[in-house]
Amino acid sequence: MLIIKPKKEFEVCIEAELTPELAMKSVEEVRKFKVYYGNRVVELGELFEVVKEGEDKKLVLDGDFGRVKWIGTRMVDGEIVVKGNVGANCGAFMRGGRIVVEGNADDWLGIEMAGGEIIVKGNARNLVGCAYYGNAVGMTGGKIVIEGNAGNYIGEKMNGGEIVIKGNAGDFVGTEMRAGVIEIHGSCGFVGGDMRGGEIRIKGNFDLLPTFRKTEKGWVGDVNVKGEGVIKTF
Amino acid sequence: MLWIKNGIVVDPKNKINAEKMDIFVKNGKIVAESDVKKEDCKIIDASGKLVVAGGVDMHAHIAGSKINTGRTMRPEEMRVVRNIAGKFRATLGRVLLTAPAIGYEYAKMGYTTSFEAAQPPIGALHTHEELDSIPMIDKGALPVFGNWHLVFKCIEEKNLEKLKALVAWAIERTKGFGVKVVNPGGVEAWMYGGNVKSLDDQVPGFNVTPREIITWLIRANEELGLPHSVHLHCNNLGVPGNYQTTIESIKLANGFRNPKRQVLHVTHVQFNAYAGSSWRDAASGAAEIAKVVNSMDNVTIDMGAAIFGHATAMTGDAPFQFSLHKLIGARWSNKDTEVETGAGIVPIGYLPSNPVHSLQWAIGLELGLLVDSNKVVLTTDYPNGGPFTEYPYVMAMLMSKKMREGELKKVHQYVQKTTTLPSIDTEKTLYEVIHMTRSLPAKVLGLENKGHLGVGADADIAIYNLNPLETDFSNEFEKVYKSFKTAEYTIKGGEIITKNGELVKEVFGKTFWVDARKKVDLEVIMPDIKEYFNYYSVQLGNYGVEERWLKNPSRLEVV
Repeated sequence: MLIIKPKKEFEVCIEAELTPELAMKSVEEVRKFKVYYGNRVVELGELFEVVKEGEDKKLVLDGDFGRVKWIGTRMVDGEIVVKGNVGANCGAFMRGGRIVVEGNADDWLGIEMAGGEIIVKGNARNLVGCAYYGNAVGMTGGKIVIEGNAGNYIGEKMNGGEIVIKGNAGDFVGTEMRAGVIEIHGSCGFVGGDMRGGEIRIKGNFDLLPTFRKTEKGWVGDVNVKGEGVIKTF
Repeated sequence: MLWIKNGIVVDPKNKINAEKMDIFVKNGKIVAESDVKKEDCKIIDASGKLVVAGGVDMHAHIAGSKINTGRTMRPEEMRVVRNIAGKFRATLGRVLLTAPAIGYEYAKMGYTTSFEAAQPPIGALHTHEELDSIPMIDKGALPVFGNWHLVFKCIEEKNLEKLKALVAWAIERTKGFGVKVVNPGGVEAWMYGGNVKSLDDQVPGFNVTPREIITWLIRANEELGLPHSVHLHCNNLGVPGNYQTTIESIKLANGFRNPKRQVLHVTHVQFNAYAGSSWRDAASGAAEIAKVVNSMDNVTIDMGAAIFGHATAMTGDAPFQFSLHKLIGARWSNKDTEVETGAGIVPIGYLPSNPVHSLQWAIGLELGLLVDSNKVVLTTDYPNGGPFTEYPYVMAMLMSKKMREGELKKVHQYVQKTTTLPSIDTEKTLYEVIHMTRSLPAKVLGLENKGHLGVGADADIAIYNLNPLETDFSNEFEKVYKSFKTAEYTIKGGEIITKNGELVKEVFGKTFWVDARKKVDLEVIMPDIKEYFNYYSVQLGNYGVEERWLKNPSRLEVV
């Protein structure tokens, strides 16, 4: 297990692709790991304290990582626990393993992820589990659980996997969605525009587009794109 | 001064076919041996290497609002980093490249001239600003005329003097090079949600037909004696069965004659060479088109070959772009350019497993193989058919039947029945392929100093690590492809700009533009232009591009 703590409050954002693979390396190697601090390339050891405890494949990020982007990018196994907030693009392209965020998550949580699990105890912002701009397919597998609220564009272009939001969500949930499940325990705004498949379950209130038809299964659409997606309450 | 020693030169314009000779360069021009002091020359040893003129791309979309909108709507194209800023500029792009990347990639491949093929007249300033951001190569732009209300008005009145004056005025104002016609009448019909289906459909709101637009513009172009002929993107592009429209359009050149060049250039014919009635039974009409082109001596075409992989369809043909968007379901952007023209952009990818894409791929090659080498220019209509960086693939394919057989196995077998490609035995020679990429496009554009290595030509030279005397072009296609992909040296205006694919020096090429104002009386058209400017979003005084705004303009005066 590797414990990483910020040495100071950061003035600009850091881009650091921290994955559980680091826990397999020696502390010296980890300190030399290259990260971007603003537009400068620096060593991880300059910005963070690194402590190693035991050999399990686990990262504990102890402190506020709200300005650290790309944590858990492309990780395949192991575990990351963030004791505070986490920055944008957390868990991007992730294929396996587990990320637990005890604070809030920024935009682009779990974009294009294909497997694994992300749990956020606080709130998440926009674009959870969606496709990177211009790409055709968003999240294809795995599970994202957000205990608080989430922003707009949840599961855009989603093609598999599951997103669970225990609080409320914003507008444009499941836009251009093709497969997978989105479950919202609170309320949300507009849902399922240009949806082709998949299922969106909502407990609270939501705004429905006029392009969905009522059936036994729930609201089916989006008729605009001859979609067969389902929106229902539970 | 440069002395390129012992190279094996292929220069079709000067009838030199793989002869060992020396080339001398002074002040950016190719000169005779007696004009240089040999001891002052920098010597490039080209023994056993192919020395040819720098490539000329006569039809690509490299600048202006279309490619820029394409870049905006395709952020995924911008994730390939080609060059990190340092001595040279940062460049990005997969197929849609940033402006400096276009210059750098052309130069690495040994190309030194490229023309933007469709410039909306009112967007001229944008086009030229972007052309001025493209380093390394010489450039030019063709303004579009085929859907301009003013053009329709002159043709309705059957007033050739007015039309000539308008063409001369517009080419000067836009700092353009020639007359481009995109889906004549069709884009105007698109303003009302329609299109024209044949050469004799009336354009909505005007008493003209596509047939009249094309013939009148050819007539005006020939009377003005512009360096380039009318450059036509035919009606019905991308519609199965359209090869008949293309043949009819080509035949409109009958009756016109110009001793120096063709009178009609039909562009990216691959997209206009489909037989059949729908995409379910589409087939190739390339053989019929080739027969017609070969029988006429005043028409040239370019291939518009499709390359498997990513591409972006962007043309001034707005109705076609909408039908493409409906057909494949990809993103779509439409542009309406006031009373002049329109455009559309749709991302596309060509897949070998798709029967239609395989058909398009095969038709492009069929055109290259079946049409006389003196009448067909190698293009991919960048970025519509694919990246220009894959020209070497097309060159190698034209020269090797064995390579084509190998590639035919990898594509959808639909092409076996619907095209003649599997039965074509022709293998173009290196001489012919160099002609199709250098001297022919330069001749078609009317650029006398480009595309050849004769004394007086611009010193745009490409040296490839390929010995034509020892290469078996039929069998060693991989080597041929690799050699043409990266020039050992690219020389632009007498300076070495790339070496083995590494950038050496950044230079800025010329922007060619044509001034034909002396041939006409502009006063005959000015009252009409002034009246039409009531409908423009800009004032007449603010319209167009001044020569002094361009970085490196080169005026070709028509007298």
